Amino acid sequence: MTYYVFTLVFFLFDYFILAMGLNIQYGVTGILNFAYIGFVAVGAYVTGVAAMPSNINGEHYILGLGLPFPLNTLLGGIAAMGLSALVALITLRRLRTDYLAIVLISLSLVLYDFCNNYVSLFNGADGLYNVPEPFAQSLGLGANGFIVFFACLTGVVSLILLFVMRRVMRAPLGRTFRAVRDDHVTAAALGKDTFRMQLKAMMIGSFFAGIGGGLLIQFGGSFNPTAWLPGETFVVFAVLIVGGAGNNMGMFVGALLVETLLIHLPAFLPEIPGHPGLIEYFDLALVGIVLMVMLWVRPQGIVPERLRRTPSFGVTPKLDDEAGELDRTTALAGVKVAVAGTEEAR
Amino acid sequence: MSVVDPSRPAASTSVSPALRCEGLTKAFQGVHAVNGAAFSIPEGQITALIGPNGAGKTTVVNMLSGAMKSDSGRMFIGETETTGWPSHKVARHGLLRTFQLSRELGGLTVLENLLTAAPNQAGDSLVNVLLRPGLIERQERENAERALQLLEVYGLYRHRDTPARELSGGQKKLLEIARAVMGSPRILLLDEPMAGVNPALIDVLGGYIRDLKKDGVTILMVEHNLGVVEQICDHVIVLAEGRTLATGRLADLRQNTEVVKAYLGEVMDASSAD
Repeated sequence: MTYYVFTLVFFLFDYFILAMGLNIQYGVTGILNFAYIGFVAVGAYVTGVAAMPSNINGEHYILGLGLPFPLNTLLGGIAAMGLSALVALITLRRLRTDYLAIVLISLSLVLYDFCNNYVSLFNGADGLYNVPEPFAQSLGLGANGFIVFFACLTGVVSLILLFVMRRVMRAPLGRTFRAVRDDHVTAAALGKDTFRMQLKAMMIGSFFAGIGGGLLIQFGGSFNPTAWLPGETFVVFAVLIVGGAGNNMGMFVGALLVETLLIHLPAFLPEIPGHPGLIEYFDLALVGIVLMVMLWVRPQGIVPERLRRTPSFGVTPKLDDEAGELDRTTALAGVKVAVAGTEEAR
Repeated sequence: MSVVDPSRPAASTSVSPALRCEGLTKAFQGVHAVNGAAFSIPEGQITALIGPNGAGKTTVVNMLSGAMKSDSGRMFIGETETTGWPSHKVARHGLLRTFQLSRELGGLTVLENLLTAAPNQAGDSLVNVLLRPGLIERQERENAERALQLLEVYGLYRHRDTPARELSGGQKKLLEIARAVMGSPRILLLDEPMAGVNPALIDVLGGYIRDLKKDGVTILMVEHNLGVVEQICDHVIVLAEGRTLATGRLADLRQNTEVVKAYLGEVMDASSAD
């Protein structure tokens, strides 16, 4: 029971991190990153090979740095961020919206096939396994103890990342991201380098993706291509859309509803008699239905993007200026009189 | 009523131009929208860019502001050549523009629309966001104070916390100008600021534009309403079929039969009818 509950808790926090990363890219800046799960995978793989020693039971892995917990995961985040910068440099200068989405989904497939078949990189279809469990030995944790500990650790990491993300989104940078999303032509006309802004959003979001991936591989101890089928990207999109694009709290709510309740809970439900394994396949169908209903009924999500009002910029607005508005109206009336006057004079 | 000072030289070659272009061309799949336009805008004055529909006025504005690359020709802001510069670089150099159809940042509030335009924001840098929150907070407060003052001037103060997409058409026009002004422009390109605006608001807008001139802003405005041009513009450039047909003061251009034939004749008749 503890195992089940804390597995769900882990996925809640991990997808909260992943959704925050996609949110800054899509929800805030409007980049349709359909390759998102690819950046999660790169983060996971790089964390894995950074954590493992160069030689386990005669198996060799590239890198094999044997780095301890926060460092290996950071390296995963940085690797995902680096890849996203490369991808952004290639795609974002010339492409937007649907066209960008098509290229990115292709990239996701290429990356997938590459990792699946180029065995000497991340061990192909078998993937990485026996990835060290952080602090399990030093704290003397058993299997259940580790699950509880790591779920809590992921919670702490997600809070740190939430703090960072809030700061970015409340800063002028976050506003500029939203300006690029709402109308990139206008943003450019106001002096914003829209390409650089999208590049920044891609890199910040992909760092989050990499960290989320790094936590994923250390939680399960293994990672292979079945864990990041390109369609997984759309689960993160579902989290984002159900929760409410543009709002960090929405990402938490979305992670709770979609990832925890719809994707992972059914796996723990009893089998349907006579149809072994069927219940596992309900999850994605359920996600699809929920997504359609949400887009129909409440496209802004459960917790929509919040408006920033005047006092949040450190200034106190005057108590609503009925007088000022009155002046304006009188001024307008005066102008009308003047206009009438000129017409008469003609 | 004319605000043009009769003692001021008309096609002022003596005043150094704030903005200059020569031999601008732009073709859209064989249609020559702009075909060798060349003119200069005198510093500190209001210049109107007029011409029949399809003359290439908006295309010229788009090229000058960097939103569109010219096929050939050269552009200068003051002494600096800006040919081929992207929009954001032109804007940072002090040339801001408004759009013919208002392009508000719909999901941002009116105040945020203005704040986005504030120049040189430390808070657009990720390093500053993470490491220098105090600096950003101070800048934001200063910018917000200035933005609120502008919103008061432009009659949008009450709507400061409204998402820009919810404004009316006229309010969006006001926001366009207020936002450009927030960017502290030296040169302002206004693409049909009066289009679709009621007569009372036209006079209000005209007043704002004249106030900007008093503050030392050089203005180029695309305008169809010759009454407005006569009232507030010092200098007129006539564009026809992508070329500069004539420049000068409206009163002088009325004597120019070529201009009258190409454009003014019909429109003058129309405007005197109402």
